Amino acid sequence: MGVGGLGALGVGLAACAQPTPTAAPQAEPTKASAATQVPPTAKPAAGGTVVFMHQRNEWSEDQEKQFMAANPAIKVEFIQFDATRFMAMNAAGNPPDLFRLQGPEVPDYLARKILKNLQPFFDISTVLKADDLAPSNNYYKWDGKTIGKGDLYGMCKDWSPDFTLFANKKAFAEANVPVPADDKPLTYQEIAQLASKLTKKEGDRTLRWGFGYHGDWIDRTMMNMLAETGKSLFADDFSRLAISDNPEAVKVARYWFDLAKANVVANPLNPSPQWAGDDFTKGLLGVVQYGYWFSAMAESDVTKDNVVMLPAPTWAGVRRDPTMTATGMAMTAKAKNPEAAWVLFEWYNGGQPAIDRAKSGWGVPALKSQYKLMPAETPFQKQCQKVLQGELQYASDALQFNPFIKADVVITAWNKYLEQALRGKMTFEEMLKSVEKETNDAIKEGISRLG
Amino acid sequence: MTAVQLSGAGRRRGWRFRGRAWREAVSFYGFIAPWLIGFVLLSVVPLVFGLGISLTNYDGLNLDSVRFLGLQNYARALHDAEALFGISRTAVFTALYVPLALTFALFLAGLLNQDVRGRGAFRTLFYLPYVIPIGAAAWVWRLVADGNYGLLNALLHLLRPGTAVQWLANYATQVLVVFVVWTSVGGAMVILLAGLQGIPKELREAALIDGATPLRTFFAITVPLLTPVLFFQLVMNLIGALQTMVAPMLLIPQPMGFNVLPPQDNRLYMTFVYFEIFTKARFGYGTALLWILFLLVLALTLVVFATSRFWVHYEVE
Amino acid sequence: MQRSITRRLRQSTVYFFLLVAAVAFLTPVAWLLVTSLKKEVEYISWPVRFLPAVPQWANYRLAVTMGNFARYATNSAILSTAYTSLVVISSALAGFGFARHHAPGRDALFMMVLAMLMVPGMVTVIPQFMLFAQLHLTNTYWPWVLWGLSGSPFHIFLFRQFFSAIPKELEDAAEVDGCGRFRIFWQIFLPNSGPALAASAILAFNWVWGDYIYPKMFLTGANTTLAVQLVSAYADPKGNPLVTVTMAAVVLYTLPLVVLFFVAQKHIIQGIVTTGLK
Repeated sequence: MGVGGLGALGVGLAACAQPTPTAAPQAEPTKASAATQVPPTAKPAAGGTVVFMHQRNEWSEDQEKQFMAANPAIKVEFIQFDATRFMAMNAAGNPPDLFRLQGPEVPDYLARKILKNLQPFFDISTVLKADDLAPSNNYYKWDGKTIGKGDLYGMCKDWSPDFTLFANKKAFAEANVPVPADDKPLTYQEIAQLASKLTKKEGDRTLRWGFGYHGDWIDRTMMNMLAETGKSLFADDFSRLAISDNPEAVKVARYWFDLAKANVVANPLNPSPQWAGDDFTKGLLGVVQYGYWFSAMAESDVTKDNVVMLPAPTWAGVRRDPTMTATGMAMTAKAKNPEAAWVLFEWYNGGQPAIDRAKSGWGVPALKSQYKLMPAETPFQKQCQKVLQGELQYASDALQFNPFIKADVVITAWNKYLEQALRGKMTFEEMLKSVEKETNDAIKEGISRLG
Repeated sequence: MTAVQLSGAGRRRGWRFRGRAWREAVSFYGFIAPWLIGFVLLSVVPLVFGLGISLTNYDGLNLDSVRFLGLQNYARALHDAEALFGISRTAVFTALYVPLALTFALFLAGLLNQDVRGRGAFRTLFYLPYVIPIGAAAWVWRLVADGNYGLLNALLHLLRPGTAVQWLANYATQVLVVFVVWTSVGGAMVILLAGLQGIPKELREAALIDGATPLRTFFAITVPLLTPVLFFQLVMNLIGALQTMVAPMLLIPQPMGFNVLPPQDNRLYMTFVYFEIFTKARFGYGTALLWILFLLVLALTLVVFATSRFWVHYEVE
Repeated sequence: MQRSITRRLRQSTVYFFLLVAAVAFLTPVAWLLVTSLKKEVEYISWPVRFLPAVPQWANYRLAVTMGNFARYATNSAILSTAYTSLVVISSALAGFGFARHHAPGRDALFMMVLAMLMVPGMVTVIPQFMLFAQLHLTNTYWPWVLWGLSGSPFHIFLFRQFFSAIPKELEDAAEVDGCGRFRIFWQIFLPNSGPALAASAILAFNWVWGDYIYPKMFLTGANTTLAVQLVSAYADPKGNPLVTVTMAAVVLYTLPLVVLFFVAQKHIIQGIVTTGLK
């Protein structure tokens, strides 16, 4: 078995692969010359089974029934998303037709040729129009070199400018600090000062952390901060993580390290009990950094009438507030039923489910024409909309994620070595070097795999 | 004793002997047939495949870019500092967990084998943590052990105000051991209880009449007869402890936000392998690491089996 | 008189011991129960509050409706029962084979049984998926039926140990009477293995009921088990889990296992029939 068996398997898979539409280098909406491709025809021709790998809480059984009732020729087979299962299905040569993914994963999947170019479908769609797509969809655009331009390989389901802030007014009152105005952005340095003022302790016990954020995503925040000065965490060709030789990057990393060391944010040695959003709704955080979607849950019994949304802070004076997740869906290159899958794709992202999502207030719609559906009744909702409108203009630039590694590599390394640095087992410089080494090893492997 | 008689007797005895052994072998294979067939059809192929994966650089997704690496993954593992660290942490965990779990389960089983009123209810109570889904159990433990808001520190606060010990971050392995013992003792107790039933009451009562204390009876009579089942539990505990993967991840102090990996002390071997496979996409390497673990577990189990000759009492060998 | 007093004293000490141990042991369980009755904002607070301000029984209602509890509980029940009934028998057969036979290859094969326990599951999960996918058995319950029929290394090992401990005299007596191996198994060993059978059945049922990995890999949204459903069903529209409702669901999910155990543990009281032998 061994090599021979795997080789045979590989050949077998290649043999049953569908001819993928070649990506046109320039992707103007009018370039519908995809004559050699699978022609996306009008709805009546689409039928069969669509294997849909997603999450039950984002695709209810009611929605499934509705869709199948409206499209009797199509049967949806839903599978709850699971990373291992996704791998196994790919290995067995049977990937799902549509699956859920996030913007940062796209470069990695593109490099492995897992995604199907959907531009031909978009070109003739009457529901998903090119100029109606919100900027978050840039994460799914690729011209062969950069993310953000080119053909569409998927679409976002909803999004938020993710760097906005939510403040707990009561925390400010207790600390005797005035709540910042919501019409101009703070700087990150000001936030650091606020954080230490808002932190409340009682002996060894921390009763409130001044600042909170999603610990799994600060590498993305760092990328956004660096992008203000035109720099990146990675070398230009993504061949390595470049922090220690980049003074600006060192400053950004130091910023987050110092916050953790000062114990004004939750950190490996003083963790908060739940994730930052949950902590905020229980009054355990002074300020939290989350996108517009957080407004749907920010007001709990504890924080009601005490929350205010603030614009995204800046690091170097340049305002940037894209999304850093861009959760959406894509079609696999080896999908067995692209036409039927597209019908589902279109309905999910532009039809009733999208409208319902927009009205729920859990995110900004992926279609600009649906922006007006966002809720704006309560004073809090209105205040959030006001801040949001101010942020939308700064939301276009997609963050550039590394195509050779999976999205979690950097942050896992960061958290791993952060713990040791905080315990005093290594210095800050050593920590950076260790993060780099671990990431670069993974990048090298990724590059060699694509050979 | 003529030659004829001798040869005749020999022939008859020989034939009967072969017949008996033959029938026993047939019977043996008959009894294990369902297992053997299932093993060959359902397990061997995936096993071989799994072995094959460990010889490549498979990343979990693309089979087209797979390259054969021979034993490179295995050689790499020997130099991988993190893998070796994982083994050391797993060894520590196992050394703490196994004796504790076994003793506690034996103690409980012994206690609940007594004629105590409501022992059915007690057995059920101690069994409870075993059936609670481990995710939920860990979640509750994380809450109770939370540094700033946990019940445990709240109680300590009554004794010494301002206490906020970070149990999960600073005493990670201790908490892990106690947690895993807590979740697993119910199952072990069931097995040991069943084992205790196999010990004839008469033997115990005879000893008691002879003047031995219950404790002495327990150790002199009950435990020796319980050794086959104890042996089972020991081996299972050992294998389970060496393969521990999920519990450390569930006890990460702030899993949904901050710490993607467990605190350093809890980076057990299998947990490390999990991250290699799912975060670093090193499926081939990860599988090789798992096979290495298999060899270690096998070696250890063989050693335990070898020692069993000295302390396990079987009726039939 | 003296003996009965010491006996009463001993019983009371044992009882007291058990009570204290049980209370300490079950504190996390108690915490789980009270959390299931709290509001989302209540379950973390300072000062720590053990009881909810107002018990949120609605959490239980939500646990049943939000997650379509009944359907998935049924799925779990079917799968668990099917697997348990098959695996106990086939494992007992194999266990008897290993315990009470001498045959060439026995020890080597038993080592293989044990080896399967030592192979970390992750090694074979994806290859197994590929195998079942080839056989078109994914999204069905057939893998469990097949696994049940072929016995489980854990249970085989368990039965082998139990059967090894049964006195040889029972077997010899039956052989003298002319019983074949299977009759010995069926009429002597099995009836005397109530405790082992009960233990095995309880643990097997638990395993399927509580298993998350295999249903996640092999079943779809509609026919999957409660264990999988539990993890993702109770969330707000963004996907953030509703902790207290999930805890309520966990309580409901655990209840059948507790009841099953309470009923079955009575069977772990049977001794070996030794009359008429000595």
